[in-house]
Amino acid sequence: MFDWFQPNDVLWVIPAAPLLACLWIVLVGHVVRRQYAHRPVVLALAVSLAAAICLLIHVVPSGFGHAGEHGAHGSPSHAIIKHLYQWISVGQLNVSVTLRADAMTALMLVMVTSVSLLVVIFASGYMHGDPGYPRFFASIALFVFSMCMLVLAGNFLLMFVFWEAVGLCSYLLIGFWFQKPSAAAAAKKAFVVNRIGDFGFILGVFLIWTTFGTVDFEALFGSPDLIREIATQDPAIFTTICFLLFVGAIGKSAQFPLHVWLPDAMEGPTPVSALIHAATMVTAGVYLVARCTPFFVLAPTAQMFVAGIGAATALIAAITALTQYDLKRVLAYSTVSQLGYMFMSLGAAGADVSLATHAVTFAMFHMFTHAFFKAVLFLSAGSVMHSMGNVIDMRRFGGLRKALPITHITFLAGSLALAGFPLLSGFWSKDEILAVLFSASQDAKHGDFYKVILGVALLTSLMTAFYTFRAYFMTFWGKERFPEEAGHHPHDAPPAMAGPLLILGVAALFVGLIAGPTHLYGHYLEHTPGLPEAHAHEPNLLMMGVSVVLALVGIGAAYFAYVVSPSVSQGLKKASGPLHNFSHEGLQLDWLYLRFIVNPLRLLARIAEVFDKWVLDVIVDCVGFVPSLFGAVLKPIHNGFVQNYAMVMVVGLVVCLVSVLRALAGGM
Amino acid sequence: MNWSPENGMLLLPLALGWLAVWWLLPREKPRGRILGGLIGVAALLVLQATVLPPAGDLVHDVMFYAFAAAAILCGGLMITDKNPVYAALWFALTTLAVCGLFLLNSAPFLAAATIIVYAGAIVVTFLFVIMLAQQGGIGGYDREAFQPGMASLLSFALLATLLFSLQEWGGIDGKAADEARHGQFVSVPTTVQANLLSQAPESNPREIGSLRVLGRSLFTDYLYAVELAGTVLLVATIGAIAIAPRRSQGHL
Amino acid sequence: MTSTALENQLIVGAILFALGMIGFLTRRNLILIMLSAELMLHGVSVNLTAFGRYHGNPQGQVFTIFVLTVAACEAGLALSLILTLYQRRKSLDVFLWGNLGEDDLRVLSGSSSSTQPTTKVVDPNADFPHLTPAGRAPKSPVTKT
Repeated sequence: MFDWFQPNDVLWVIPAAPLLACLWIVLVGHVVRRQYAHRPVVLALAVSLAAAICLLIHVVPSGFGHAGEHGAHGSPSHAIIKHLYQWISVGQLNVSVTLRADAMTALMLVMVTSVSLLVVIFASGYMHGDPGYPRFFASIALFVFSMCMLVLAGNFLLMFVFWEAVGLCSYLLIGFWFQKPSAAAAAKKAFVVNRIGDFGFILGVFLIWTTFGTVDFEALFGSPDLIREIATQDPAIFTTICFLLFVGAIGKSAQFPLHVWLPDAMEGPTPVSALIHAATMVTAGVYLVARCTPFFVLAPTAQMFVAGIGAATALIAAITALTQYDLKRVLAYSTVSQLGYMFMSLGAAGADVSLATHAVTFAMFHMFTHAFFKAVLFLSAGSVMHSMGNVIDMRRFGGLRKALPITHITFLAGSLALAGFPLLSGFWSKDEILAVLFSASQDAKHGDFYKVILGVALLTSLMTAFYTFRAYFMTFWGKERFPEEAGHHPHDAPPAMAGPLLILGVAALFVGLIAGPTHLYGHYLEHTPGLPEAHAHEPNLLMMGVSVVLALVGIGAAYFAYVVSPSVSQGLKKASGPLHNFSHEGLQLDWLYLRFIVNPLRLLARIAEVFDKWVLDVIVDCVGFVPSLFGAVLKPIHNGFVQNYAMVMVVGLVVCLVSVLRALAGGM
Repeated sequence: MNWSPENGMLLLPLALGWLAVWWLLPREKPRGRILGGLIGVAALLVLQATVLPPAGDLVHDVMFYAFAAAAILCGGLMITDKNPVYAALWFALTTLAVCGLFLLNSAPFLAAATIIVYAGAIVVTFLFVIMLAQQGGIGGYDREAFQPGMASLLSFALLATLLFSLQEWGGIDGKAADEARHGQFVSVPTTVQANLLSQAPESNPREIGSLRVLGRSLFTDYLYAVELAGTVLLVATIGAIAIAPRRSQGHL
Repeated sequence: MTSTALENQLIVGAILFALGMIGFLTRRNLILIMLSAELMLHGVSVNLTAFGRYHGNPQGQVFTIFVLTVAACEAGLALSLILTLYQRRKSLDVFLWGNLGEDDLRVLSGSSSSTQPTTKVVDPNADFPHLTPAGRAPKSPVTKT
């Protein structure tokens, strides 16, 4: 089937459809039929999704479904490349706009387009009546275009361009309600913090170019021997490249210490939080590191750094999430924490190169499942916000089980998946990450390091279950309470919102079940060119058991503390007063930034201002003073009285006459 | 310019003339007008001494000196009089004296026309305006001159330049060295044949200013200029009518 | 018939011109300024006729006729302009018309106490064009805080 379909011919459809939708809204849609601005976007995303699924089917060799277990590694892995046009050609630098798709790309594209399609349908209900309705959908379409191009980019430079573009869309969407000072500040913060990471990324790209002489993926990853040669020749440079690329990932994926922008980004509309700041954009860093696996496998130090940063982030974010009262903030810190998980997995191959394929596969798998269950959690939170009159503080409502049945079900599904309840999505993906970390900790050389990482991962797993269900119980259980803003009868999600919620909820529950035990996802991903050979993977029953126990303990503890006897949680809060505050304030990281980075910079700016005002300005004033001095000398002549001018004319006449006469006399 | 001591002879009348004008120009505290007048007359007399001695027809010379002195004195009185009405009348007298000079230069038609245009039209109109505008008497601005010393000094510098140059090469053909050495104004050749510009057929002095010669010259050689002058007059008339204030715009 | 020496006539013309110039430069009455200009024209006319006489041709007199014509035009236009100016300020003082000067200079009409004939009459109908002052210091956004 699909014989007419040539993937490299229609590759461009995936990003082009949202771009067209964006242009349509910008040029026409924001004037005509504003309330239907979501339609072109929904249509375009449906087209993109269809194209992405076609790509998914065609990008790997046919017969994959049958021969997956045995023949996959033997068959030549390949990528589909669509050369659009030559972009830069300066000296030795040749950069073209090239679309490149392989198995990893196809999976990312399916995830991006499907989640964004559902989120856009949800947003058409959620954003209804907002004055910026067309602007919202234009930004979303632009974001999906940028994200698809980022994933499809055929070289590092093009990837960087769209890396910046998604950052721009994120800025636009966080600051969507730019009248709110907090939203404007959050957008600025996100942009500035991201910039630090982007700077690292572009430095890494420069270094790649000076080292390898090319930035093209195909040329780089297609020649593993070249990479190995350089890695052995100059390991310092090579590790530096990996570090710099990872700095880019830190910024985009909100890892410690640049994670501070993501919780603030929740000022944007909730669908944006679901789409960009949970499911897709923040995973770009994970994608980048996964894409550069051929580099990272040769730099164990960088891998350990990745794992260490991931562990630190996961732990810090989980601790912070324990005490948040803002429902969306709990989810934001949870996102940061789960991204840390993915990086832990990506860094797991530092101990043993043979683990690399599994490590990447499980990181990507966790990203995939996380996209679905985090999207459903955010959208459910959005639904709660919608019916509570934009109140999001969990202390102000409770017992919404009866009032919002659909939202309750979907939120529960998302929470169970996130907590790693057995047989649900999060269980499979998280379990595999724990397994690969366990394998890494068995290594003789770096085993101790990875034991610590594993411990952190287990602790985080416990905390994840606890804080997720803390939020769930605080919101949906207990005594039924509504804030005044909600009105008398809070209504559940309208159909446009309920549909995507239910679809995502089902996906959150069962995506892992379909892909996890069958290894469908993993074997598909192994077709990505550049991944090293891997041993067969067998489930780690020990880790599975531990993780189930931890999840159940976390859920149980939350149930005990917030439903059975709420006094326990109150007592706990009182008993650990300073610690509670410390956690609530995100380990005071914002305060540290203010104290040690923002304030010194402000002082510098003040000094520059004084210098500008009292040194540069004075010089400029002096320069300006000279002509004005001349002007002051000559000004009295110009006093506006006609006789004065006539007198000057007489002076000129006398002078002319005398000089002419002198000349004549001299000539005689 | 080659400076010779004889050139200094001119400085005295110029300095006296400047002093006289400066003395007489109106200012806040009035000065004795007689003293100023005497200085002015003295300046004229000193100047007369440097001028060539009268040569020729006595009646003609007397008339010339009389008209020239009248024109200069009346001009001086005009620019120094406080009362603008008197100044206008002094101007009329100057015009009459200048017309006398015209007559001596055998320009009777011109003299008549100037009297008609200036004394008959322009001065009368000016007088009307002055009387219209200054019903309350002399304005304060008429009692004080603007920068009298500076302005008259400059003007006399210009005059001195003119006179020195005249003294240096009074003759158009430049044979003036001998006479210049005596500090006197050179005499130009009285024979018109020496000049290229002179026209022999019209050499009869009586004929030059006659209506017939003037009319022939105007309407043959200067026809375009006459037409242009007529156009200028027309445009000026229209312009004056357009610019002059209307009754609807208020009272004078 | 003999004629007066040319240079004597030129001297008379030069003196009349200088006197007219002094009047033009010093008098503050608009009408007297115009009359002084006419006096300068007289000096020129004397010169022209003297030269015409000297060369024995009518060109000097023809030019004088043109001077006369231009003087008549000038007088007519000047009078109408003076009347318009007078109507605005109710005075013939030329010092009241210093609008083209720099703002911060000394106002000459106020320099002496006795020469304060009329106060400036503000004409409500006067709608003079005025320029935006150039070189205004821009407000610094920094100091605004």
